[in-house]
Amino acid sequence: MNESIMVALQVYGLGFVISLVIAVLIKGISFVFDRLSGENKVK
Amino acid sequence: MNIMNLFQGVATLFYQEPLISGARIVLIFLGILLVYLGKKGTLEPLVMIPMGFGMSAVNAGVLFLSATTTGTIFMDPMVSDTNGLMNILQIDWLQPIYTFTFSNGLIACIVFMGIGVISDVGSVLRFPFTSMLIAMFAELGTVATFPIAKLFGLTNGEAAAVSVIGTADGPMVLYTSLMLAKDLFVPITIVAYLYLSLTYGGYPFLVRLLIPKHLREIVVKSTRNENISSAKKLAFAVVANTILCLLFPVAAPLFVSFFLGVAIRESGIVKYIKLIEEVFLYGATFFLGLMLGVLCEASTILNPKILILLVLGMIALLLSGIGGIIGGYVVYLISGKNFNPTIGIAGVSCVPTTAKVAQKEVHLVNKYCFILQYAMGANICGVITSAILTGIYVTLIPML
Repeated sequence: MNESIMVALQVYGLGFVISLVIAVLIKGISFVFDRLSGENKVK
Repeated sequence: MNIMNLFQGVATLFYQEPLISGARIVLIFLGILLVYLGKKGTLEPLVMIPMGFGMSAVNAGVLFLSATTTGTIFMDPMVSDTNGLMNILQIDWLQPIYTFTFSNGLIACIVFMGIGVISDVGSVLRFPFTSMLIAMFAELGTVATFPIAKLFGLTNGEAAAVSVIGTADGPMVLYTSLMLAKDLFVPITIVAYLYLSLTYGGYPFLVRLLIPKHLREIVVKSTRNENISSAKKLAFAVVANTILCLLFPVAAPLFVSFFLGVAIRESGIVKYIKLIEEVFLYGATFFLGLMLGVLCEASTILNPKILILLVLGMIALLLSGIGGIIGGYVVYLISGKNFNPTIGIAGVSCVPTTAKVAQKEVHLVNKYCFILQYAMGANICGVITSAILTGIYVTLIPML
């Protein structure tokens, strides 16, 4: 039982970290695109 | 001439074991009921009508294959040796579809590609952290069901496959059970699709039970309504797909299918979009329903574990729904109460059903409340997190 809870926690933990990485990636892509198109330039 | 030899579907009812014969009769009527409920709209008609039709037909059309054996000429999912398979491919009319599209997961990937084509990732790019957070909370059932399934005596592979019902994503369940629990993939997939058809009817009650009316009517005040360009969405699809394929090569077919669908949508290739959305997606859904029904032949589906799967499937979907709503509450608190917790249910990745449920529920209490763009963000992130968790299970479980 303990082992299966550990497996579930591993799956969830890993999933959480990867999802966070994807979210950061999305932010990064948005940032790069905005920079390239000049939307975020300080006037 | 014995008249019973002329009507072998009836004759086999008397020849087979009483348990199998009884199950055949029950399944014939269950198939007819599914067609009726599909037509009525209680269950998803796109899957349930071909499924119910196939279920009643396969259980009625049993014949004598030899003097001592019975079977059908629909298909044989249990055939394993190459010679036998080559023979069956030339006899059973659905065997080519089963062998070349179903048992290797292709049909699940085609459905997933179709989901990609109909998914606008703009909402995900607009609210990435909120959407991902809700989606991960809505995976509660996908992970919490695993130890519960182990308690019921399932193997690691079976427990993982049944837990994936919590993703509320049919193709994902099909893919995982094919990879990890081949012996149980028929009952697991059938249980999953039956329950998924019921989410549209069941989740609204969960929302009303767990979220008070004054919170359901909250209008989210957004300061960010920027347009997300197609190029940005395309870049996201390409980069996310490459990274996820690098991390989980075993689940690469699923990632590729989904993100390729997104990429085609954002590339604006109208002919491909029409091909995938109108031909591939509906064609695959039709055959998926029909194959699931035909796989419900009494002798194939009668498994002592079916009752356990029915219970676990319900637990998985219930926990995911509760998890999603908890996620909605968490974002509500983090955002200084400028968030409608109902959006949480959309984290359960049944695209676009749960997003529609969320919008419908808030609309019932506040006609001026539109949360669909937030709900779709959580919904599509739900598909991504489901694919990630499936990738982790499919990679991790064989290592245990």
